[in-house]
Amino acid sequence: MTPVEKSDAEIVCLVDDDPLVLRSTGLLLASEGFAVRQFDKGEDFIAYVGAHEVPLVVLDIWMEEMTGLEVLARLCATSPQTHVIVITGHEDTAARILAMQFGTVAFLIKPFDDEQFLSAVRGALAMHAIQ
Amino acid sequence: MSERDRIDKGDREKEEPFYAGQGRILEMIAVSAPLADILTRIVLLMEAQTDGLRCSILLLSYDGKHVRHGAAPNLPEAYVKAVDGLPIGPRVGSCGTSMYLRKPVVVTDVLIDPLWSDYRGLAKSCGLRACWSTPIISSHGDVLGSFAMYRQEPRGPNAEETRLTEIATHIAGIAIERQQDHGMLREREARISLAAESADLAFWVLYPEQNTAWISEKGRTMYGFAPDEPLTRESFVSRIHPDERVAVQAALEQARASQETFEIEHRIVLPDGKTRWVITRGRSLWDEQGNVLKKICVTIDLSAQKQSDLQLQVQREELARLSRIALMGEMTASLGHELNQPLTAIANNAAAARRFFDRGQIDPAILKQLLADIAAASHRAGEVINGIREMARKGKSTRSLLNLNGVIGDTIRLVRSDILIRETTVVADFDSRLPDVEADLVQIQQVLLNLIMNALDAVETLPPAERRIIIRTRSLEGKSAEVSVRDFGAGLPKDRPDKVFDHFFSTKAEGTGMGLTIVRSIVEAHAGTLVAENVEGGGARFFFRIPAAQGLPVGKAA
Repeated sequence: MTPVEKSDAEIVCLVDDDPLVLRSTGLLLASEGFAVRQFDKGEDFIAYVGAHEVPLVVLDIWMEEMTGLEVLARLCATSPQTHVIVITGHEDTAARILAMQFGTVAFLIKPFDDEQFLSAVRGALAMHAIQ
Repeated sequence: MSERDRIDKGDREKEEPFYAGQGRILEMIAVSAPLADILTRIVLLMEAQTDGLRCSILLLSYDGKHVRHGAAPNLPEAYVKAVDGLPIGPRVGSCGTSMYLRKPVVVTDVLIDPLWSDYRGLAKSCGLRACWSTPIISSHGDVLGSFAMYRQEPRGPNAEETRLTEIATHIAGIAIERQQDHGMLREREARISLAAESADLAFWVLYPEQNTAWISEKGRTMYGFAPDEPLTRESFVSRIHPDERVAVQAALEQARASQETFEIEHRIVLPDGKTRWVITRGRSLWDEQGNVLKKICVTIDLSAQKQSDLQLQVQREELARLSRIALMGEMTASLGHELNQPLTAIANNAAAARRFFDRGQIDPAILKQLLADIAAASHRAGEVINGIREMARKGKSTRSLLNLNGVIGDTIRLVRSDILIRETTVVADFDSRLPDVEADLVQIQQVLLNLIMNALDAVETLPPAERRIIIRTRSLEGKSAEVSVRDFGAGLPKDRPDKVFDHFFSTKAEGTGMGLTIVRSIVEAHAGTLVAENVEGGGARFFFRIPAAQGLPVGKAA
């Protein structure tokens, strides 16, 4: 069940292997009028990026198969203009530093504040627009 | 009276005192009379058989290289003294040479025989002319000494003298060998006693037929026997702690039947009421008819060892406390991580719903979805909290083929000092056909430790005699292995024995109420079941069943 997207809605990609988190975060973005593309596997998202313009991805770090950090590394090579917001289950300094080096704009610990999350999304899209 | 009869009669008259003399000497040997006396009697008996005969017995020294005086009551003292201590060799008179060559040496005239060249003057001054010496050989073939006959005229032995020599060497051999055996035995006893005195151990011997016992000095102190108190089997039995009397006697009996060495740890109670932990090890010695001649036992006082066991116990408790803390910490981290996901979903869904409302564009279908997801996420969060079983499953688990009998044995050894300190009897009853299971050794040990420690706690308030735990294994048609731990304590909550598995349920002041929850999770992670029940006759029984390893329905042959 997905809300109807407006045709001019900005597209946000979302990658998380936990279906409950994936859907709820997607609905949270949809409630603010964003068009959401959801992926439960890093590989699927990388394939999507190869064919589409992606201004922003919200990315989970701890995933079973391809981890968020691996996705980040590929993204740097294939789509460096894509902004990244990392959402992760627990604080991990090493992952945070790595993520920042790969151009991550926000690093949020689950469960995150909805307002903080959405303003990070809006900020990242605005940055993408002026680039 | 015919000629022949007269001769026979004459022989008999002569022979009878000779036989009687031999009999008296054998008696002396039997009662362990001093060797010098026995040898002297042999010499005198032989000398009495023939006129003008002088005899002597020399012994071979322990080093096997010198002669020692044995008996020579009618030889000149100067001669005896001169001979004593001479080395044996190929040319040392008759005796030194016969011992050296291990065969009889007949010197018909010492004044011309080269063997006597060094001793001619001595022999002449003592009026000795002929000397025939025969070695005394032990039953093992060792030279013990020599028997010699001397005459004042130069000649060799006649038939009678040769016969006497045979008898004399035979009897002297028995006497010397027996005395040496006694000496060795005494020496061995002295050595063992010395060892026994220097260590914290009692050395004791039971003679069942006479019902007497001997115990080393230290043993008397250890057992609290008075210095001159006569000892019997009952003396020892009376010292064994009443709780262990049956077990100790059973061990003794089994050792007797199986002819094996037995070893059992038990307590002894001293007359002043003090108890002492000891370990007794022993075996029976048998005669050829299969009768027990004696039981030789060594009892070691474990008090010093107990002391270090106590220290170990303290260390282990500290370790257990630390590992509990570590486990809790690990759980918190793991729970935290697992909880974050559904909590994120709940928070996001709630926030999304609120935002849809704020915008006034709520689609009932979406709202329904959000609420359903919130419910699902809440449910999952609950599962995480309850599901410590996840931990057991996800924790790095290394499974291997285990035989639970062995694991239980090892685990009992781990808590041996707890069992001893709590004065609890642990009865292990193992099914030798128990199938192997594929399991994580550490986790299974954790299960067993928990159940055993709980059982120990359960019987703690009982008088020591009633503190008992029974650990039993059973093969369920080779398809599963069952382990049960039974205590004789107060039992489980009457209304719902299962309550003990509830989280945070504890009857113990310092308990966290997590022990049995974790135990059950582990068993279930092994596809097993854990059940608690009250037992008729008092106490509780916990039993778990784990399926037999695939393809290996039958355990290792016992």
